[in-house]
Amino acid sequence: MDFRLSEKELALKEEIRKFAEAELPPDLVRNTLIDGEFRDFEFEVSMSKKLAQRGWLVMSWPEKYGGCCASLLEQTIYEMEIAYWGIPGAWMGISGIQWVGPCLMMFGTEGQREKYLPLIASGEKDGVWCTGYSEPNAGSDFANIRTRAVRDGDDYIINGQKVWTSAAHRARWCWLATRTDLNAAKKHHGISIFIVDMKSPGVTVNPILNYYGRHHFNEMFFDNVRVPASNLVGEENKGWYYLMQSLAFERRSLAPTTYGSLKRILEELAEYAGQTEYEGQLLSQNPVIRAKLADLAIDLEVLKMFAFQLACRISQGQIPVYESSRNKIMSDEVMKRGAITGAEILGIYSQVDPDSEWAKLKGAIQGAYLGFPGQAIAAGTAEVEKSIIAQFRLGLPKSY
Amino acid sequence: MDFGFTEEQDMLRISAKDFLAKECPKAKIREIDKDERGYDPQMWRSMAELGWMGLIFPEEYGGMGANFTDLVILTEEMGRNVVPGPFFSTIALCALPLLEYGSREQKTKFLPLIAKGKAIWTIALAESSGKYDASEVKLHAVLKGTNYVLQGYKLFVTDAHVADYILVVGRTGEGKRPEDGITLFIVDAKGPNVEMEAIPTIGGDRQFKVSLDKVVVPKDNILGKVGSGWDIVDFILQRAAVLKCAEMSGACQAVLDMTSSYAKERIQFDRPIGSFQAVQHKLADMLIDAEAVQYLLYQAAWGISVGSPSPWQISAAKGKANEAYQRICIEAIATHGAIGYTMDHDIGLYYRRVKAAQFVAGDTDLHREVIARGLGL
Repeated sequence: MDFRLSEKELALKEEIRKFAEAELPPDLVRNTLIDGEFRDFEFEVSMSKKLAQRGWLVMSWPEKYGGCCASLLEQTIYEMEIAYWGIPGAWMGISGIQWVGPCLMMFGTEGQREKYLPLIASGEKDGVWCTGYSEPNAGSDFANIRTRAVRDGDDYIINGQKVWTSAAHRARWCWLATRTDLNAAKKHHGISIFIVDMKSPGVTVNPILNYYGRHHFNEMFFDNVRVPASNLVGEENKGWYYLMQSLAFERRSLAPTTYGSLKRILEELAEYAGQTEYEGQLLSQNPVIRAKLADLAIDLEVLKMFAFQLACRISQGQIPVYESSRNKIMSDEVMKRGAITGAEILGIYSQVDPDSEWAKLKGAIQGAYLGFPGQAIAAGTAEVEKSIIAQFRLGLPKSY
Repeated sequence: MDFGFTEEQDMLRISAKDFLAKECPKAKIREIDKDERGYDPQMWRSMAELGWMGLIFPEEYGGMGANFTDLVILTEEMGRNVVPGPFFSTIALCALPLLEYGSREQKTKFLPLIAKGKAIWTIALAESSGKYDASEVKLHAVLKGTNYVLQGYKLFVTDAHVADYILVVGRTGEGKRPEDGITLFIVDAKGPNVEMEAIPTIGGDRQFKVSLDKVVVPKDNILGKVGSGWDIVDFILQRAAVLKCAEMSGACQAVLDMTSSYAKERIQFDRPIGSFQAVQHKLADMLIDAEAVQYLLYQAAWGISVGSPSPWQISAAKGKANEAYQRICIEAIATHGAIGYTMDHDIGLYYRRVKAAQFVAGDTDLHREVIARGLGL
């Protein structure tokens, strides 16, 4: 057992701190949880490119695909720091870095890897991805998807509808889950994944505004979209397995980023409480506030340990069964608590628009408050994750 | 970073599990609960023979030379089995400070006896408020010739009735801070003018009011330096917090395992209750709580093992354990239904110990305060 960070890992943290100080505008609004990352896209991409130049954007990938073979632990630390400093542009849309790349390395063809991975690693707009999973009738019951892909010579023809597709309006590529076999014994069996060029004829993207009027996700329509068969990922009808793997990758990166952004929020709340008086007493002297912030700090420490434990487990070549779900639940829980506690501390100012000059802490609390219910649904609800833990870790009977 | 245990540590855990499964079944625990002594001398001897008492003493004092994390592993297994007896009071509360602060003579005299299972120790710290606060220490000690004379009383002294020695935290002077002027005395528990009165507790552990009426203690029996005993108390509280947390961690896992097995077996509405999501999600929450305690525990224990204990990490671990252990037990009883509320069921053994465990080395509020100060509040 050893919980020290190595010299190299500590140096990485320090370098990211310096990078953030040098590259981020001082008035950067910090309400990304409600915006997603796609509000000032030009700025995002400019940061992506800088991260790519530093060798950080896809640090844990092999060199031939644009990475520098960093360990998953370094990757985890990087994700924590990026979130702590609020550095935008780290994800190349939503999916390319977190799961498309890693899945292509596991299941893709060499041709696919050579074409798509360096694009993601470049930090250019042509490396931005979205992921087409949810459909109107396939939310938590994801295997219920109906978007069809039918073989036609050297191509597949895709028809269907996707919804809640984050970053579709920015993406050059789509990682798309489709149904290829209508007659499979189980609905999980007839699923395949395709790489779709978002510029293909027949692809339509319409914005869906979230409840705060921000454009993060979209609905997508595929109307006879022709995709070359070489864009099929892995084997036809084996897509469910790849999807589960991709979700595990996605859920893994949530804990480090939540940890980083909440750690910053916690520090700023503590500072704010130490400077703000309410009814003649500093907020930091209020025992209820002290207790709430302490509880939050304890659970953040848990989240940190969970994030590192999962990274270490994967690094040892083990396939995590339930840890990603555990970390997803814990991330959502502390984010919710951080947002609510933070809002309580801001008091009446918690209702101020996060972009307004009236906003405290550059809108970070309102961003979290408005954003956490959305984050909690993305990549699997608490209910789905808890069922996964119950069945795959505790061995309880299947419940649905 | 490395979350793994060494091969020796895995072996230690397995051998502890095996021994306790065989020698300390729940029937035995119920028997001990009814026994005046609160422990089984036969089992105590066997534990000593396995080297558990002296696990982290150097060989020269009859020990095995293991490190603090090893002791945590052993304690976690004891907690999993809710082993009754004075192991915690002897080792966590007394042997560790003896090892760290004892003079060469004191260590040579006392540690080998502890290692052999021939001496039971406990600490007398809390007074009227039961808080671990230096200002609470009123029991006073006055120097007369080469002896100190101790006068006062202590509350919630665990296993005092079977102890050979009591580490008594007394006040020898007043200083600027309440922490100044505190001294630790090694008191013969069976000596004259030491009186004990049982404080019956819901956990079934043995706790006492210990009154000292002009008890004479030779200067040689002072642990550490006169007047700077609070440093030792701090040392004890940190280690005791982590080791109690280890017991609680083992207990959390045991209760979770028990409950998840029950949910697979218990049939209602023609199916195992574990197939209902209302039950599954409760169990998933319990698992997350149990793992949270475990990893915070290992982090804090590791810090102590490598000689850089972190008060923040220790408080995070104990604070979390205090809440999680209680929550897990309550949810476990709910999942079992009425059977979990009976004397015959094992869950009660765990639930009834929650309160005692929470107060050892600091309740949640105390640890929240440490964390809050760490945040700069």
